[in-house]
Amino acid sequence: MSVEVRFDANSHTADAIQRAAYRFADRFSIELTQDGLDYRCLLHFATEPDAAAVDDFRTEVLDQVLRERIRAETEGARNLVLSLAFSNTHLVDDGDDPADQHTPR
Amino acid sequence: MNGQVLLTSMVGEHVFINAEEFALLADKTLPTDSPTFRRLQGKQIVAATGEQLPLELLAMKTRTRLRRLAEFTGLHMFVATLRCEHSCPYCQVSRQSSDKRRFDMSEETALKALQMTFASPSRNIKIEFQGGEPLLNLPLLEFVVTEAVERNELERRNLSFVIATNLALLDDEVIEFCRANHVYLSTSLDGPADLHNKNRPRPGDDSWERAVAGIRRIREELGTDRVSALMTTTEGSLDRSREIIDCYLEQGLQEIFLRPLSPYGFAVKTKSHAAYDVDGWLAFYEEGLDYVVELNKRGVGMVERYAAIILKKMLTNDDPGYVDLTSPAGIGIGALVYNYDGDVYASDEGRMLAEMNDKTFRLGNLHSDAYADILLSDKLLTPLESSYAGSAPMCTDCAFESYCGADPVFHHATQNDFVGHKAFSVFCRRNMGVFKLLLKRYESDPYARQLFRLWANR
Repeated sequence: MSVEVRFDANSHTADAIQRAAYRFADRFSIELTQDGLDYRCLLHFATEPDAAAVDDFRTEVLDQVLRERIRAETEGARNLVLSLAFSNTHLVDDGDDPADQHTPR
Repeated sequence: MNGQVLLTSMVGEHVFINAEEFALLADKTLPTDSPTFRRLQGKQIVAATGEQLPLELLAMKTRTRLRRLAEFTGLHMFVATLRCEHSCPYCQVSRQSSDKRRFDMSEETALKALQMTFASPSRNIKIEFQGGEPLLNLPLLEFVVTEAVERNELERRNLSFVIATNLALLDDEVIEFCRANHVYLSTSLDGPADLHNKNRPRPGDDSWERAVAGIRRIREELGTDRVSALMTTTEGSLDRSREIIDCYLEQGLQEIFLRPLSPYGFAVKTKSHAAYDVDGWLAFYEEGLDYVVELNKRGVGMVERYAAIILKKMLTNDDPGYVDLTSPAGIGIGALVYNYDGDVYASDEGRMLAEMNDKTFRLGNLHSDAYADILLSDKLLTPLESSYAGSAPMCTDCAFESYCGADPVFHHATQNDFVGHKAFSVFCRRNMGVFKLLLKRYESDPYARQLFRLWANR
């Protein structure tokens, strides 16, 4: 049994839809194609289609679209803060292992 | 809130303005010489065109707030043993076993853990002994403390030790060990005897009596500051916040941490975490917080620690570094857990998940992996990077973001996703409720305002 769901290709990416679909792998499988200005998702259920799962999938796609956009917008600040966290560890630059410099007696 | 709009800066300073002023501000027509504009300017929430000073001040405050990050891992948890004589239904990790070799940390593993501990660049190193019941493996604790102190003669770090214990096995030997090495003790006290003993069954049904006797003894023999207590909230706690706080006062404890029940381990298995909802816990928290404020008004000193942690983030430019409320998350970079068998976990909750066969946060093993392999593994970097609150939907434009944190372990446990959809997040709902409550009291009660400032700056 299958259900078709469409997303506007101008405001959604295939990557976001695929990420969302992956999270629903235990509830349905998905066939994703581009159809003109839409992404066409065919959700295949093993038994009867589950309306709640389809709603949850739409919610998840919106979440993934936002994550993708916000991650891109905030990449600079995020990388700066994370690199600050590791700045004193010498793990990234010299490749030495601080634990190796502190061999116990 | 009450027709007022909350504005926060990226370092958490806040101002309430009315809806009309907010509309003008959004339209960029709020007069720059108005008192409201000046209030916002004073907290670097707005700047007039061409002004540089507010940006420089904000940058300085941001640097202050983030300075703890570069300290890297300060808390190192040694799981001395999984054995425990208690059989608490919500405990995730304990084992009822007399086979010491099977569940105890060996000296060889402890040395490897110390090697990793001192590989951290942190000036402040806290070694916390966890279990099971760590006092069941006292020789290992003595070994680790002796080795760490000796090693620190060269390292010159600010080294401290804590034993997380139920105190049931406290005896002269433990007291002398703690006295000689200035070891702190952190225990569990869930409230009155009936509640505590129901939560914490042990042979003799005397967990509360032993905990209370232990607290008294440590306070008398080692000092009042050498023991603190944590409570676990269960369904039976929810209508007893005042009694629980009174119980703490009766033991001379002047701090309480009104904690929610964690969603990990046996708490999930036994479904006990589902026994009360967020609203139920928030009502419990509100009643407890109000009672603590009332006690202070009456001259009885008492601090609610969760509020104090959040208020430091709200009212100062400092970040207390509480691992559940930091972004980037505190996993690995704030704390590391060395399990009895040498497995290294990004957090204690990560260890608890592993006991349920979910090893997502197992970073490696002390006997086979190097420090760099563990700290630079994708198993740590991926959840750290992906859960960063500034990049998460709902968090990135939430006024409370600077008070909150990224908790990838919680969201993985509850939603199987490091980021978590915040509309369905219990973590988000719970913390939003606490933030709103604290701001409400701060704005409406002059006494609470003064008290909260004291808590924030302690």
